[in-house]
Amino acid sequence: MSSDDAHSSSSEHDSTDQNPNPSTSIDQSLDAIEGQLTSISLNHRNSPLPEPPIPPPHHGIGDTLPSDAHSQVEEVGAVEKSGSDVEVENSVSRGEGVLWRNSSDVEGEVEGQGSPSSSGYAGGKGTSSSSGVSGSGIEEISGDEVDQGEGGIRSGSFGGSVDSEWVPGKRHVNEDDASVSWRKRKKHFFVLSHSGKPIYSRYGDEHRLAGFSATLQAIISFVENGGDRVKLVRAGKHQVVFLVKGPIYLVCISCTEEPHESLNEQLELLYGQMILILTKSINRCFEKNPKFDMTPLLGGTDAVFSSLIHSYSWNPATFLHAYSCLPLAYPTRQAAGAILQDVAESGVLFAILMCKHKVISLVGAQKASLHPDDMLLLANFVMSSESFRTSESFSPICLPRYNPMAFLYAYVYYLDADTYLMLLTANPDAFYRLKDWRIRIEMVLLKSNVLNEAQRSMLDGGMHVEDLPVDPSPRSGSLSSHLGQPRPPPDSADRCKALLGGPCGLWHFIYRSIYLDQYVSSEFSSPINTPKQQKRLYRAYQKLYTSMHDRELGPHKTQFRRDNNYVLLCWVTQDFELYAAFDPLADKALAIKTCNRVCQWVKDVENEVFLLGASPFSW
Amino acid sequence: MATSARNNLNAKLVLLGDMGAGKSSLVLRFVKGQFLDFQESTIGAAFFSQTLAVSDATVKFEIWDTAGQERYHSLAPMYYRGAAAAIIVYDIASIDSFARAKTWVQELQKQGNPNLVMALAGNKADLEEKRKVTADEARLYAEENGLFFMETSAKTAANVNEIFYEIAKRLPRAQPSQNPAGMVLVDRPAVGSQASACCSRYHFFSYYHSDLNFLILFAK
Repeated sequence: MSSDDAHSSSSEHDSTDQNPNPSTSIDQSLDAIEGQLTSISLNHRNSPLPEPPIPPPHHGIGDTLPSDAHSQVEEVGAVEKSGSDVEVENSVSRGEGVLWRNSSDVEGEVEGQGSPSSSGYAGGKGTSSSSGVSGSGIEEISGDEVDQGEGGIRSGSFGGSVDSEWVPGKRHVNEDDASVSWRKRKKHFFVLSHSGKPIYSRYGDEHRLAGFSATLQAIISFVENGGDRVKLVRAGKHQVVFLVKGPIYLVCISCTEEPHESLNEQLELLYGQMILILTKSINRCFEKNPKFDMTPLLGGTDAVFSSLIHSYSWNPATFLHAYSCLPLAYPTRQAAGAILQDVAESGVLFAILMCKHKVISLVGAQKASLHPDDMLLLANFVMSSESFRTSESFSPICLPRYNPMAFLYAYVYYLDADTYLMLLTANPDAFYRLKDWRIRIEMVLLKSNVLNEAQRSMLDGGMHVEDLPVDPSPRSGSLSSHLGQPRPPPDSADRCKALLGGPCGLWHFIYRSIYLDQYVSSEFSSPINTPKQQKRLYRAYQKLYTSMHDRELGPHKTQFRRDNNYVLLCWVTQDFELYAAFDPLADKALAIKTCNRVCQWVKDVENEVFLLGASPFSW
Repeated sequence: MATSARNNLNAKLVLLGDMGAGKSSLVLRFVKGQFLDFQESTIGAAFFSQTLAVSDATVKFEIWDTAGQERYHSLAPMYYRGAAAAIIVYDIASIDSFARAKTWVQELQKQGNPNLVMALAGNKADLEEKRKVTADEARLYAEENGLFFMETSAKTAANVNEIFYEIAKRLPRAQPSQNPAGMVLVDRPAVGSQASACCSRYHFFSYYHSDLNFLILFAK
């Protein structure tokens, strides 16, 4: 693993420094892709983030961030002001037409050359004819991330709830690589086989994208033939990220300015989702028949993939590699855990009780541990498949991190509209036993009022920044900062001058416990209350996370950045990672002080926001 | 197997058929009286139970609504093993789904359970104008293979209760058994050899399946 990592981080540079020629010959031989991606030039600007100076050693992992220690906190805000973080806001006013103009230029170029490309790509010529259609499709695509032209749609409807409402199933099936609307989508995901057969595309019909798939395959195999691997291509605003998993190729083409490391992890999760449905034994099919068509095997799973991809823009678990728990009183969670524990001791591998994306309780059999990514993929699979809601189900699934080669069997049952129980076993004949267990579990949960408590927690939410205790003292803490207590009046005198959100301009935070592999995030509140703003903050966190975990420069301990949108503060210790967003005008010393208070607050309520004492997660 | 206690029968029933043929719609119509125009694909298999009173007995159906997707074909034995009855569903507007229904019939016949009650359901009978499979053709096939045949419509509810009622009537009576439904453990036949003759697509799956079984053993 580590050697692979090392390779991947260096290979990008290798390919540039050592052999610039192959890159240009990609340009020449595969001119067709230019039509898709403005102009391919292997652009080796390094990460768009300004590189923060390496912090001086942070002595004593005492859990307070010294508020006066300027030397230990990096101020990188100034650089950032016109930089990458302003993606969403500025791109509205800035010439979004850039890509549009570029791509039509290139279309002209392809047209002018008039020679069919060697890759067999057929879409290039069709595009110029269809490029006049532009206006018509815009209404229907407003819900997705689209590179809009000068139209103001983005600033309008995009900010509404459209974006957060994930619609099951695939949209825009009528598009293909010749459609203008398809080309304008900001983030594409493709899965194809090593023979170039399309397996999945986020937008458009896979079969109509056969030519495009073949082009991607040609690029990958061209570089592979040179004894190298293509990981990333930058083309103007676009990044093309490649991931090769045996006979399965995954590609992301994005102009969302997310770090390519994040895109790569998103491809990994996409692959994991595929493995969850089919197991890695799918590779054998390709060994027996290289031209094997995998699409029929994935029949009916579009919703699973589209919901996963949608979660890349709102669910922090996708980049934190941690799961979150539904905030619950300690005894309530204990009651749920106790009955699940009984089940786990009777031959069930994992017993998991969840409310939407959040864990109520989970128990693994001895020595069995569940990776947070597996949980994310499993929860996504169950929640995006409507059929699980109609009755109890027994379905084969594979946990890619647990054992990518084998199916487990999942008994899935919805206890109410949001809460569902999953019992995983290796025994295909266990259905009736699991069904009996479910009846017992359901009885216990009803008797101990867990389901009602869960519903209430869903409504009330967990940690609200407005409730941040002013001076939490470790002694009195656990009582006074109990979640779900009536909140103090908004104008209580002991607050510092809050502009909006919590005290001292605190808008939001995420706290990730490294030991528990869990995170807790505050509820969104004003001013981060539209899906658009939430997504922007999510992307900012994602970028922050990537820069903190940079393989070459990191790991870092603290980072302070200020831009037009936020002050972001990140603090990483051996025990936890804290990501906090403040008002852009927030005072630095106060922000640091507030972060200390947040950490103390989380510690005070950890009984309620984390699942403690579960079987140890060790892998 | 159908198990009986006096006049109460427990019967495991499995629905098989191509994806989109309407298996889930039939079950939901029968069990919940519902119909959705856009029924989502079933994942794995969904379990329902429903009790029917016939003249001489009460039959409690334990229904396995299997997923029609190809990736689940190899796992079907897990669901039809020990079944007392099977409904093989096709869509009267799809020749392919009728062909697929025939291969399911063959597969079940190879199980060699003489008591298995098999019904052939030509679903979506309300789509008369799109019909591709005639009722006569299907009836002839059903007679030749010892199935009973009905055209059904989950949308209009036509013949839905009737087909389950007919199965309930045909279930063999007085077949006491100690095993509760679904817990009958039959030695699992080698699935690979069963399926290999069908078609190349199937052939692949037999490998796929046997590998997985092997690996699942390992996982334990």
